[in-house]
Amino acid sequence: MTTRNWAEPYKIKMVELIKMTSREDRLNAIQEAGYNTFLLRSEDVYIDLLTDSGVGAMSDRQWAGIMMGDEAYAGSRNFYRLRDTVEEYYSYKYTVPCHQGRGAENILSQILISPGDYVPGNMYFTTTRLHQELAGATFVDVIIDEAHDADSEHPFKGNVDFDKLDALVDEVGADKIPYVCIATCVNMAGGQPISMANLKQTRAWCDKHDIMLVHDMTRVAENAHFIQQREEGYLDKSIKEIVYEICSLTDAATMSSKKDAMVNIGGFLAMNDAKFYEKACGLVVVYEGLHTYGGMAGRDMEALAIGITESVQDEHIHARVGQVQYLGRRLREAGIPIVNPIGGHAVFLNATKMLPDIPQEHFPAQALSAALYVESGVRSMERGIVSAGRDKATGENRKPNLELVRLTIPRRVYTQAHMDVTVGAVEEVMERRDEIKGLRFSYEPEVLRFFQARFEQIDPKGDS
Amino acid sequence: MKTIIEPFRIKMVEPIKLTTRDEREQLIENAHFNPFLLAAEDVIIDLLTDSGTSAMSAEAWAAMMRGDESYAGARSWYRFRDTVKDIFGFEQVIPTHQGRAAEHILFGVMVQPGFIVPNNTHFDTTRANVEYSGGEALDLPCAEAGDIDSDYPFKGNMDIAALEKVVAEHGPEKIPLIMVTITNNSGGGQPVSMANIREISRVAKAAGIPFYIDACRFAENSQFIKRREPGFENTATIDIAREIFSYADGCTMSAKKDAFANIGGFLCTNDAELAHRERNILILTEGFPTYGGLAGRDLDAIAVGLCEILDENYLNYRLDSTRYVVDRLLKAGIPVVAPAGGHAVYLDAARFLPHIDALQYPGQALAIELYIEGGIRGVEIGTVMFGLDPHTGEEKPARLELLRLAIPRRVYTQSHMDYVLEAIGQVWERRNDVRGMRIVEAPKFLRHFTAKFERI
Repeated sequence: MTTRNWAEPYKIKMVELIKMTSREDRLNAIQEAGYNTFLLRSEDVYIDLLTDSGVGAMSDRQWAGIMMGDEAYAGSRNFYRLRDTVEEYYSYKYTVPCHQGRGAENILSQILISPGDYVPGNMYFTTTRLHQELAGATFVDVIIDEAHDADSEHPFKGNVDFDKLDALVDEVGADKIPYVCIATCVNMAGGQPISMANLKQTRAWCDKHDIMLVHDMTRVAENAHFIQQREEGYLDKSIKEIVYEICSLTDAATMSSKKDAMVNIGGFLAMNDAKFYEKACGLVVVYEGLHTYGGMAGRDMEALAIGITESVQDEHIHARVGQVQYLGRRLREAGIPIVNPIGGHAVFLNATKMLPDIPQEHFPAQALSAALYVESGVRSMERGIVSAGRDKATGENRKPNLELVRLTIPRRVYTQAHMDVTVGAVEEVMERRDEIKGLRFSYEPEVLRFFQARFEQIDPKGDS
Repeated sequence: MKTIIEPFRIKMVEPIKLTTRDEREQLIENAHFNPFLLAAEDVIIDLLTDSGTSAMSAEAWAAMMRGDESYAGARSWYRFRDTVKDIFGFEQVIPTHQGRAAEHILFGVMVQPGFIVPNNTHFDTTRANVEYSGGEALDLPCAEAGDIDSDYPFKGNMDIAALEKVVAEHGPEKIPLIMVTITNNSGGGQPVSMANIREISRVAKAAGIPFYIDACRFAENSQFIKRREPGFENTATIDIAREIFSYADGCTMSAKKDAFANIGGFLCTNDAELAHRERNILILTEGFPTYGGLAGRDLDAIAVGLCEILDENYLNYRLDSTRYVVDRLLKAGIPVVAPAGGHAVYLDAARFLPHIDALQYPGQALAIELYIEGGIRGVEIGTVMFGLDPHTGEEKPARLELLRLAIPRRVYTQSHMDYVLEAIGQVWERRNDVRGMRIVEAPKFLRHFTAKFERI
């Protein structure tokens, strides 16, 4: 990997002031929020690493695009620009805008899935799996085993395990598999990439069984960076070329453009099949909006088209991933257990190792996330047993191997100094880890519980 | 002073591309004779909808720049929520990316197959969402609504006797909610009186059925009440709005209408348990409850827009400038729905083109001619939009055959409207040569958006 400095290829043009809080303020705030960082007020947060979704800083070009919005209900010129940009950069012929990624997942799942189907994928994602389940399908994890091992140094932990795919076909038959869903830079595995070789093999496998290949492409540019740096034969190719090659290996895609494409709102469903497109147009108007805006303001389609062109610039991705690597390396040097290799959009703290005395049923990652906030005002997100939810058949807690806290880095928002503060904050929590108590639900929502759940602390000397 | 002046001046403009008549002949054919399929830049005056097409103010743009894009608990959310609570008065506020998403969540939670939802008149997406949930969307307009020439001041009213009959017949077991749309869009943008809202509320309460308001154009409706309903002459418009919502259990709102926003909407209720179920769907299809699928900047723009829309000088200008177009049409003897509504002018296509049968879509034919004549884009509200029963596949004539020319807020000037009047006049001159249309291809739900036509 290149050792070239990752200094930002931009300068700051507009700033947003941050409110400073005291430890006492934060203790009150986290108690009010039921120990769930999702329920904090953003103004009580110092460094917000909850998510990289929709929180990126747009460029001056994108803001200029915002001013160029054509807000016509039908046939806005921003739509045609977006459609052409998607085809030019991502290869897909048809584009259906959606207000965000989950809007696209909803439409995709309703069109392609029949009750009783199985959808294989390289690890689940929370909203994606729920849409598949609501349409009547069962999600089947076909990612390689190394993805579930936080310490494995495998360079492409997002890869597909073909023994698992073959086993599924043998068991249920190809007819029951409407599509294979492949995410680039797998979020729940720690932002881990899939290799081009593995993707090509997946394409061949799908062709052999006549099964469609759908691309969850929200972090495709970051995945392209890892292919460029780690896979033989790609060092001389541009991110733009690699992104295009990835996309052209797949038949359709869902995109939350709030990540790689650096917009605050928006997404799309894209495909090459005309019949599929027609069905999607019929459905998008019910849920999202007419097919030439799909619930997006014209200005946001324009900002998205510009964001796509910026997202595939080599300098940009180099700095983006460079910053994440910097944070990860500093934490590792400080002896903090994290998921390896360091991913593209976030650093994942290994809560199992940081809090070995808290059993998984007492939500160590949730407790760690709350403690980090109190210590420093840094907001992170639990990605462990709470996010995994309950099994739809048995109602039992799913127990993932990875019990993680995600420090997600918004694109182009924070500086190296902010990263240094974050490292210091995690170190301090590590030092005081004996004071951290496990948690239990005081309110548990039925679906996607991590968003709105409330918790209370468990007194270790008490009955639990 | 008789001249209507805008209580604002122009701060930013958007150039319009001009086309020739020959170009437009070709463009509309390429668009399969459906104005929804035209590229917006090929339209000179876009009266397709007043939804999301308004001009925001400098204040709203400034608020956009203050948008807090944090995923959870953003400042923009609290500003938005507090403004909505202040005006609408409901305890639970749920943001959505636009109005149809609010409807989708509401009906998804409340409507089951076989249920009936009475409304003064459902609008297109509302009807589609009720039907998509398996329910029946029942229109109960007052008798005057069907009489295009009636001067009745509140032609948007619901027929209370008919509502009582339906409620007595089916009861709360089959009627999950009663809804009223203010103003009544499909019925000509006509207002609903406070007296009528009180009556609906009384019937709903007596039967134990929740009462919801489709609030898209609540400010225009409130101003009509102030101007037309005895006893409200001296009441502030914002207080009229507050009184309207005080009778209801909840509302759906498209902020793309009476909040000047380009995107956004919300759902309100006083029922905490219901809101809890609604938020569970919201997270799945829209977004986390403190942003609901909207950028933080859009939440801020809506909060500003909701305050601006209730400015009485603005509302008087809005209603007067719409009436200006209707009065000029009436004077020229061109059939139009009277009295003037708030947000749109509705040409009576059935009388404009009496030689075209309803099943040959006179409203659609008129829309095409007006585009060719002046590059003006309107929308058919008639048999194309409402004639097909998606469950039986049966097509029958709609109650009215209208061409709606919706006027975006603060976008077009009186000169633009004079140009529109001239174009309508020219089509009127050659009306006998206009031919009917047939549908070549169309989906089952909301067919008007994407249907393809040809001339007969």
